[in-house]
Amino acid sequence: MADETSLTIDGLSITARPGTSILRAALKSGLYIPHLCDHPDLDPVGVCRLCLVEVEGRGLVLACRTPVEEGLVVRTESPEINNVRRVTTELLIVNHPEDCLACSQNDRCELQRVAAYVGVDRQRLARLRRDARPAPVDTSNPFFDYDPNRCVLCGICVRTCSDLQGVSAIDFAFRGFDTTIAPFGKMPLAQSRCESCGECVVRCPVGALAPKNAQQPSREVRTTCPYCGVGCGIYLGVRGERVVAVRGDPDRVTNRGSLCVKGRFGYGFINHDDRLTTPWVRRNGRLVEAEWDEALSLVAERFAQSKGESFAALASAKCTNEENYLIQKLTRAVMGTNSIDHCARL
Amino acid sequence: MTVSLDDLRQQARQRWDALQNSETVRILVGTATCGRSAGAMEALEAFRDALRQHGLDGRLIEVGCIGLCYAEPIACIAKPGRPAVYYGEVTPERARELVAAYLVADDPLPRYALGTVGDGRIEGIGPLLEAPVFRHQVRRTLRLCGAIDPTQIDHYLAHDGYQGLAAALEMGPERIIEEVRNSGLRGRGGAGFPTWRKWRFCRDAPGETKYLVCNADEGDPGAFMNRSLLEGDPHALLEGMLIAGHALGAREGYIYCRAEYPLALERLRLAIEQAEAYGLLGEDVLGSGIDFRIRIKEGAGAFVCGEETALIASLEGRRGMPRPRPPFPAVSGLWGKPTIINNVETLACVALILRNGAEWFAQYGTEKSKGTKTFALVGKVKRTGLVEVPLGITLRQMIFDIGGGTLDDKPFKAVQTGGPSGGCIPAELLDTPVDYDSLQAAGTIMGSGGMVVMDQDTCMVDFARYFLDFAQKESCGECVPCRLGTRQLLTILTDITNGHGKPDDIELLLELAGAIKLGALCGLGQTAPNPVLTTIRYFRHEYEAHIHRKRCPAVVCKELISSPCQHVCPIGTQVPVYISLIAQGRFQEAFDCILRDNPLPSVCARVCHHPCESKCQAGQWGDPVAVRALKRFAVDYALKTGIYPRKRSPATTTGEAEATQKVAIVGAGPAGLMAGYRLANRGYDVTILEALEAPGGALAACIPEYRLPRDRLNADIENVKAAGVKIRTNTRVGRDISFEEIRRSYRAVFLATGAHRSKKLGIGGEDAEGVLDAMEFLTRANLGREVSLGRRVGIVGGGNSAIDAARVAVRLNPCEEVTVIYRRTRAEMPAFEEEIEAAAEEGIRFRFRAAPEKVIVDGAGRVAGVECLRMELGEPDESGRRRPVPVAGSRFAIDLDTLIVAVGENPDLSFLGDGHGIEVSRWGTTVVSPDTLRTNVAEVFAGGDVVTGPDTVIQAMAAGKVAADMIDKYLRGESVARDFELIRPSTYLPAVELTEEEVEGARRPAMPSLPATERIGSFAEVELVLTAEMAIREARRCLRCDLQTDDARRHLAQCEAEGACHGG
Repeated sequence: MADETSLTIDGLSITARPGTSILRAALKSGLYIPHLCDHPDLDPVGVCRLCLVEVEGRGLVLACRTPVEEGLVVRTESPEINNVRRVTTELLIVNHPEDCLACSQNDRCELQRVAAYVGVDRQRLARLRRDARPAPVDTSNPFFDYDPNRCVLCGICVRTCSDLQGVSAIDFAFRGFDTTIAPFGKMPLAQSRCESCGECVVRCPVGALAPKNAQQPSREVRTTCPYCGVGCGIYLGVRGERVVAVRGDPDRVTNRGSLCVKGRFGYGFINHDDRLTTPWVRRNGRLVEAEWDEALSLVAERFAQSKGESFAALASAKCTNEENYLIQKLTRAVMGTNSIDHCARL
Repeated sequence: MTVSLDDLRQQARQRWDALQNSETVRILVGTATCGRSAGAMEALEAFRDALRQHGLDGRLIEVGCIGLCYAEPIACIAKPGRPAVYYGEVTPERARELVAAYLVADDPLPRYALGTVGDGRIEGIGPLLEAPVFRHQVRRTLRLCGAIDPTQIDHYLAHDGYQGLAAALEMGPERIIEEVRNSGLRGRGGAGFPTWRKWRFCRDAPGETKYLVCNADEGDPGAFMNRSLLEGDPHALLEGMLIAGHALGAREGYIYCRAEYPLALERLRLAIEQAEAYGLLGEDVLGSGIDFRIRIKEGAGAFVCGEETALIASLEGRRGMPRPRPPFPAVSGLWGKPTIINNVETLACVALILRNGAEWFAQYGTEKSKGTKTFALVGKVKRTGLVEVPLGITLRQMIFDIGGGTLDDKPFKAVQTGGPSGGCIPAELLDTPVDYDSLQAAGTIMGSGGMVVMDQDTCMVDFARYFLDFAQKESCGECVPCRLGTRQLLTILTDITNGHGKPDDIELLLELAGAIKLGALCGLGQTAPNPVLTTIRYFRHEYEAHIHRKRCPAVVCKELISSPCQHVCPIGTQVPVYISLIAQGRFQEAFDCILRDNPLPSVCARVCHHPCESKCQAGQWGDPVAVRALKRFAVDYALKTGIYPRKRSPATTTGEAEATQKVAIVGAGPAGLMAGYRLANRGYDVTILEALEAPGGALAACIPEYRLPRDRLNADIENVKAAGVKIRTNTRVGRDISFEEIRRSYRAVFLATGAHRSKKLGIGGEDAEGVLDAMEFLTRANLGREVSLGRRVGIVGGGNSAIDAARVAVRLNPCEEVTVIYRRTRAEMPAFEEEIEAAAEEGIRFRFRAAPEKVIVDGAGRVAGVECLRMELGEPDESGRRRPVPVAGSRFAIDLDTLIVAVGENPDLSFLGDGHGIEVSRWGTTVVSPDTLRTNVAEVFAGGDVVTGPDTVIQAMAAGKVAADMIDKYLRGESVARDFELIRPSTYLPAVELTEEEVEGARRPAMPSLPATERIGSFAEVELVLTAEMAIREARRCLRCDLQTDDARRHLAQCEAEGACHGG
């Protein structure tokens, strides 16, 4: 391909689009370079220091912040690199809880992946580990928790909130070892300007930001979010008859994987006991379950009696554009009135 | 209509000259922040009041700081027609005194004066700039600090202010950059990047909008160069910024200055207003068509904002966190535009370069480091202050010539440069030139100019810990190596200083430090390990002492040392315990406590050189507690009441030797007695073989009776014997019994024969009759054998043997005149100070800086005198003492009848016979493994002076203690190795409550002693004992350092909870 740049990583020739970082080029070609703070949706910041590589003629550079160039010769390992990587990984692990099995990110954790790749020694970890002083977990948000003890301070959540969502609800707070992620004034998340979109939660490489009561689905169903007219693509995570998770569909052009609080966390109604699953009609002053045919016939009958100015329609934002078009058509053309409105402008 | 700079300057000069030539007195008071904190505003008010009171007309002018921190507050009085006089430590009282004395009565009070400035002389006061503190300085950027009123732009203009700007406007950007290039100016913030090159990058970077930022945040602890300049001469910075802005093509400049510098900010704001009003700043600068504005941004005081990219983030209103480079700020900085960040001093230099030319600037400095640099010289140095020196000056000149040396002339240990990012430089490298590259080669950096001097009382591990604590608190927390790595380093260092270091800690520190340096994102993290790395590089032995021996050589680390007195006692005497028992009037228990660790209490109560007192914390602010006198009190109490010496001592250790095994000790001196006592207490059958007729070794033979009465010594020897030790006197090994036979008859041998063979002078006539060696003389005199002295006795030497010999001689007939001849001065004498003083009291004369060249011998072959050369002190030798060198043609003679040579002693190992196989050093000392005192022969151990050469009693006893423990291990078949443990007292007694009057009135008592007139011709004990009342009062002065460890606090808390104290 003419618009591709070719380079060598650890002796392997690969190609990448100009402007791509060495790290992403390598990952795309199936070559792993340890990293924690890089995320494909975000600009690289180079703070975890794990993706240090050696470029011939330039010395040590960060793979995430160095764009590919024609003929670049990259080595992902050297005694110096390995030392920095090993020490950095050890430092992260000895300041991190050891209860991986109790972590929602177990098996999907980037820190586990880094540790497995770099290789850590149990005795060495025991030598470096100090008495932990657990920081309190912020459980104020109804949908997810922030556990600072599991946090590696990669800053992906901060950048997601500011650069992608434009909300800037959270940032780094305090200095040194006490550095943590927090809303302004270290108030609980629930009292901050956080919109609970959960975009940070899905990008957290470790288990610091985790949905409440998270369950792994046994299968996924691709569908469209029912909440509004945008039509975000979602995957419903299903276990038997129950919906246990939602994730954005990265391939849907409307949302490219992003979701709002409702789409991501508002699925509780689906299996809720109070949910209406059949129509009800009022008979002799009491609401009773009915068949669809009976209910629809009743509606048609009553509509027929109410044409003209005694009729008005209010459309819902949960409907699609097409459905909203149809209801205004019904109101004007069939019911003979212009009294049609939509909840979105009330 | 723009005013021209010439007009401005002319007007300013007129105003300045009018002020200088006015007929009124001018009083300049340094009211920079440093002066204010020392009380300058109060002094200013006092001057105002005093002038009013005396009805005098005078102008009070507030100026910046001239940099003599040690002399703050500083004021200068300029009387018409006289040179101005600078005064130091101007308290309000002194201010009033000066007005009354100098202005009213015309007495300039030279005793308060620092120096004069200006034409003319004043009797008794030298020119200020010729004082040692200024002589080596070249004040360029600081030249107006303290000389002008920083709130008056005219004062700056009158001193060629803004001339550099005028030149720059004429030259244009390209030539400005060229001029700065030719000057060789490198960044004064510390990294030392060539200023012109940075500018070049920025100027060449594409884009219309560019920014200049001045870093005035000054985050290094102990650094205040920038503050002083901003407060004393703010226009120097503005001029530099105008020039730099023009060179870069920037129309806006920011000063990023910490909010903790309120006065600097105030002066800067005022300076900007004035410069704008004069058309020097703002639109169309001096009619050139160029616009330049300067804004101030107050920083919140984060150290990390010294990092360019973090500073930019902060300027933009974000959290001050750095980002990786590239891109460099010169290409993409503030708001993404090309930006240059320069330090205050760099920009001040730029103004000077443009005013005076590159050549002028480069006339000082080294090849690669040009010009002058300001430094904040602080720490344990006599003259702390802000100094400006040519680069390339040595550290020695900085610290000793300008700084006047260390406080109280304590041995210099190291100097820290570059703040938390720098490192320390040890005494061996004091001749390192101060320039960017030499400092880097030594493992540190120039930094912004902080220079912290440390003496022997600084613990280098604690020092590294302090800086790591700073670094880890100031880390922005963004990158892993810095956030977690500095923390890990700190924890390890804290463990070491708390006495919990692990054997591999040093290697671990080095490994982590290496990874952090390489892995951290910004300069803060990359340099944070430097204090650890340089201290390990130069002071590894201090780390090892902490980790392996649980000792802090500087006696600083609290958790490790417990109380300094016990920590430094070679035998670990529980000083705080027995002192607090004395304070409670529990004298017998106090004595028991002393006896636990020390079988020779009467000896030590008299002749110990009491290292405990030298480190006593009470001595930090007043006099140390009189530990030895208190011990003497307790011991004399025990002797008086008959509880000492005991018939049979209780065992000091519970360990019992499994079977009675025979151990031989050669020499019944302090080492042998100590070892014998400990071994006997453990059940060994111990025999000490002593060549002399009386036991005691040096205690009996060398220490005169007036210091250690024989009955007291005998009491201690009884104590040792009571433990079961057999002492065979008059038994010289090699004569009465062979060493081989000893080895055959005993399971283990401890050699403790001391060092008592006097060294020779090695000059002509030494064999003449009447020339004695000190050891022979002292032994004979002390053991009551016959000695023949002349009327006039000379003693050559400056050690304790020399003083002992002199003090013995002065007591003997027919001696009338005793002279000690020593080649250096009294300050260098190795003898104990109290002994020298006592000798002087007894009428002994001293001839210092005299070196014997030849013994003058009369016709009968008798000594008639000694011919000497006068010496002067030259460069220091390896021991740090200045080497005496002869003065040409200074030969002179001293008439004498007896000459005693006391120039040192060596061990005499001839008793071992031939083929003994024990390794001996080339100084004639026995070679042993330093920790175990074992020689190369498995069952032979050695300790005391026979190993170390002449040393103190207590050191010999410590060796005896170690030898006993090691012999015990050896005979038990255990591995012969030392187990070093944290030193702790056996119990924690609660502290006594002192009344306020007691605290106020607490003073060390003067030691009662025999009047000097009664000492001559008498061997009665000179030092007397404290009364019980005096002893209790003195003991109550103890600060109880032992209660300040975590262990002690836990113990006392538990006692309180249980309602009783185990110890009390």
